[in-house]
Amino acid sequence: MESGDKVWEVFIQKKSGLPFKHAGSVHGYDKKMAVQNARDAYCRRGEGRELWVVPANCIVSVPMDEAEAYFDPQEDKIYRHPTFYVIPDGVENL
Amino acid sequence: MAITIDKEQAQFLVRLADTEMILGQRLCEMCSNGPFLEEDIALSNIALDLIGRAEQLYILISEIEGKGLSADDYAYRRNEREYFSIKLVEQPNTDFAWVIARQYLHDVYVKEIFTQLLSSKIDKVAGLSEKVLKEITYSHVHARDWMFRLGIGTPESNRRLQAAVDHLFKYAGELFAFDSIDKKFLSDITKLEQGWKSAVALTLAEANVKQPEIHKIYMRDYREGFHSEYLGHILSEMQFLPRAYPDAKW
Repeated sequence: MESGDKVWEVFIQKKSGLPFKHAGSVHGYDKKMAVQNARDAYCRRGEGRELWVVPANCIVSVPMDEAEAYFDPQEDKIYRHPTFYVIPDGVENL
Repeated sequence: MAITIDKEQAQFLVRLADTEMILGQRLCEMCSNGPFLEEDIALSNIALDLIGRAEQLYILISEIEGKGLSADDYAYRRNEREYFSIKLVEQPNTDFAWVIARQYLHDVYVKEIFTQLLSSKIDKVAGLSEKVLKEITYSHVHARDWMFRLGIGTPESNRRLQAAVDHLFKYAGELFAFDSIDKKFLSDITKLEQGWKSAVALTLAEANVKQPEIHKIYMRDYREGFHSEYLGHILSEMQFLPRAYPDAKW
């Protein structure tokens, strides 16, 4: 078991095949405690069938001061959105 | 009005119902008193599972007895001597080690019982057992993991867990003082006792906790309605509102 009071990010999958979605964070001293705490805090009302916890310090994020360089250039590129296609009936989860 | 329980099936089930009810009430005292937020939620969650389990059992008892009493009547309108919970679950939340050790020893016990009840001939009990075993399995894993963390954590956490186990083992003897009713509705009492003892011995050894001997208890048995000093206090708090305001609705 690892020691130290760590923060873990919690991801929930609603049902098999769907992507995992970030739900929030929990404290936990070790992996087992983290996944149990995540279950008790976020999965008591049928929110999901699978659960991931990831140590928060393992997640790499875009530096705050580089956000403009990362994200602003896409704003005027309308052709990147699939809005020119008709989605057939019966396609779920798109 | 004293509420008696007359049918043997109900007399057997009420032992389980009362045990789950009282542990649920005890654990509810931990709400807002957990060591940190996530554990607080976990304990309250387990407490609600216990009370829900008790309610399901009281409903079955009510159907078997056929006296027109509700689950609430059984929970809130019986006195101390009319309760049949094991003494282990009445013990107080002295510190977090007590909460965990009590939960662990209880969970192993009821896990063995409900596993045997999967083939029970009492109406609806097999189905209920299947459902509650999932809850118990989770609670059991949660408690056992904490037994290891406390037992091999620090000298202080080990000392506290040892003190809790030493105290709680005083109430382990009566768990296996089976009477004719237990023998009638449990499929294998020897297996139950051996299953509990071997699982607990393994966990205590891995958690670096010395296993106390199980001595004969010099108190009368819970099956006759005898309890430790704590049950009356639990009931007085738990039953105050429905007894003071019998028509209260919420």
